[in-house]
Amino acid sequence: MGVRGLATVRAMAPATLLEVEDLTYSYGDRHAVRGANLQCHRGEILGLLGPNGAGKTTLLSCVAGLLGGFRGTMQFAGAPFRPAHDAAARLQLGLVPQELALYDDLSARENLAFFARMQGVPAERRPAAVRRGLELAGLVDRADDRVRTFSGGMKRRLNLAIGDLHGPELLLLDEPTVGVDPQSRNHLFESLQALRAAGRTLVYTSHYMEEVQRLCDRVAVMHDGRVVAVGTTAELAARAGTPEANLEQVFLTLTGRSLRDDA
Amino acid sequence: MNLFAAAATIAQKDLRLFFRDRTGMLLGLLLPIALVTVFGMVMKFAFGGGSGMPKVVVYVVDEDGSDASAKFVAGLRAVDMLSVQPRAGEPAIAAAAARQLVHDGEAHHAILVGKGYGDALADGKEPPLTVVRDPGRAMEARLVGIGLMQATMAAAEGRSMPWLMGSVMRRQGMSEAGVARVRTSMQMVQDVIDRFVAGDGELKAADAAKPATAGFDMASLFEDMVPVVHEDVQPPARPKNLNHQLAQSVAGMAVMMLMFGLMACSVTLLQERDQGTLRRLLVSGAPRQALLLGKFVFCLLVGLLQLAIMFAYGELVFGIGVFRDPITLVVLAVTWAAAATAFGMLVAVWADTPKQAEGVSTLLILVMAALGGCWFPIQIADLPWWADVVTHATLTHWAMAGFQGMFWHQKACTDPVLLRAIAVQWGFVLVATWLAWRIWRRRFTGG
Repeated sequence: MGVRGLATVRAMAPATLLEVEDLTYSYGDRHAVRGANLQCHRGEILGLLGPNGAGKTTLLSCVAGLLGGFRGTMQFAGAPFRPAHDAAARLQLGLVPQELALYDDLSARENLAFFARMQGVPAERRPAAVRRGLELAGLVDRADDRVRTFSGGMKRRLNLAIGDLHGPELLLLDEPTVGVDPQSRNHLFESLQALRAAGRTLVYTSHYMEEVQRLCDRVAVMHDGRVVAVGTTAELAARAGTPEANLEQVFLTLTGRSLRDDA
Repeated sequence: MNLFAAAATIAQKDLRLFFRDRTGMLLGLLLPIALVTVFGMVMKFAFGGGSGMPKVVVYVVDEDGSDASAKFVAGLRAVDMLSVQPRAGEPAIAAAAARQLVHDGEAHHAILVGKGYGDALADGKEPPLTVVRDPGRAMEARLVGIGLMQATMAAAEGRSMPWLMGSVMRRQGMSEAGVARVRTSMQMVQDVIDRFVAGDGELKAADAAKPATAGFDMASLFEDMVPVVHEDVQPPARPKNLNHQLAQSVAGMAVMMLMFGLMACSVTLLQERDQGTLRRLLVSGAPRQALLLGKFVFCLLVGLLQLAIMFAYGELVFGIGVFRDPITLVVLAVTWAAAATAFGMLVAVWADTPKQAEGVSTLLILVMAALGGCWFPIQIADLPWWADVVTHATLTHWAMAGFQGMFWHQKACTDPVLLRAIAVQWGFVLVATWLAWRIWRRRFTGG
């Protein structure tokens, strides 16, 4: 299917790509997510904010299929979604974990080729996918160098490119800019914006408010295992009763100022 | 992506990483070779070359200097089990120095041949002999005792039986009158033997093939005193230079080191989790069983490579005849590599951290290696029944049964003994892999 055809299909598809309803997950007696509700619209970048221990990573892990046994339902493009038990469902997802999930002793090209294969990219499309990944990461010139020789920023870019190798509809990004320099961060932002322009839907968690404010179309704020507010920055500010405030002030108003040391 | 294609992709990636870390790979392959070399050399040479007998280091001081004492020392040197020091031609040492060597642990025993040894022997009296020893070394003491007997017989040219027997009976509490009667009786026997040795035709059997005196070895007379028919059961294909300890050593080190090697490979599962690649793979469209299967295939292939290198080295350096039966070798190698892999996977999925996995596996491997007979033949130990049960419950026991069955007993994989060893190992593979899969699903894949 060509790009135009894909765009047509997406245009005809429901506006809500992912819908999470009343999702609850516990680690033993500790409730990490308590009845969370979330809608992610097709083609948007949805920021997921929350203090430490708010349940962001657990919610993301449930969506990614890394945690099963939760209560509640998930729908993807209007259909029931159970990625923990359905390999085909997982192919619609891409994950960019917070860790640099790369093999240091493989080259950038080898990392991309390996994950392309694991993510089900057909053999005839793999070279093109690898090339696109190298371009997205800005590593065409260093394609055959081992990852262990890369800077932190280069690894972060490659980390992102691998998540998008198979062209997933929904890309889950867990703090993808931790520890990178301004140049690499800027490159990552441009890459994410390019992905959105190509029709991808992104869920983006970060502790950097200015990043979220700059990148995201909407923001969901999690607090104590629940999604307490969703909307644009302006909508959230209005809801918090501080229309002139920036996202950080809104965030502190919604989640409180006490320290959070939970994992 | 189907299960096997995904597993093959993971195994291929892990092999690439394995070979890329050249230092780690070489260490992983050379360490077992180094151990096989050391243990093999120790077993081959320290245990009396091809005789398979241990050597006891004995310092001898000849204070008599007579012909008889020289014959006695030469007799000691001729005993396979003893390594007599100083060697022939080397300077002699004093009795005090010999005592000090035993005291310092440099020598197992010292034998002091006192002045008057030759005269005593000629007079049929007890010669002045002192054995300096560490009483805790009971095994060596017995070997020295056998050596003393042989050397004394050689020194007295066979005419020591009367006083030896008299002396024994005196120490048992016999009166001097009784001792004298024993010696008189033994002297009559001795006289007949002397006549036979001297070639007395009256004493020679009519159908004897050789002259009575030819090759008559009085020193070894007692070894053959009990009339037995020796029936050798040595397989004809066993290499002539292969002794039991050497075969044990090569098999034992191969079995033990493979477990260590494959544990290191299995731990890559935990490393994948820690570096985040596991999450990425779990979110991919590949079947989740493929991740465990891919690791299994990777470990199995590395294990086979390690065994192939170790056995090729063992053949090259020690000539253990390992390639005599390639089919049996392949069956045993695949079986043990699979069993060691299953063990490694089980520990890896159970552990929370690589450090935990390494700690627990090191303990288990060393215990299993010792009980399973990788270090020394456990069959020679006098074990209580429960320890015998524990020994048979170790995985290494069955691996050793397989490899020793092939190396030493020259059995084929169709032999019932080997079939049983192979079946037990594959039984473990099935149970351990099933358990590993259950734990893996619960702990790594979110159920």
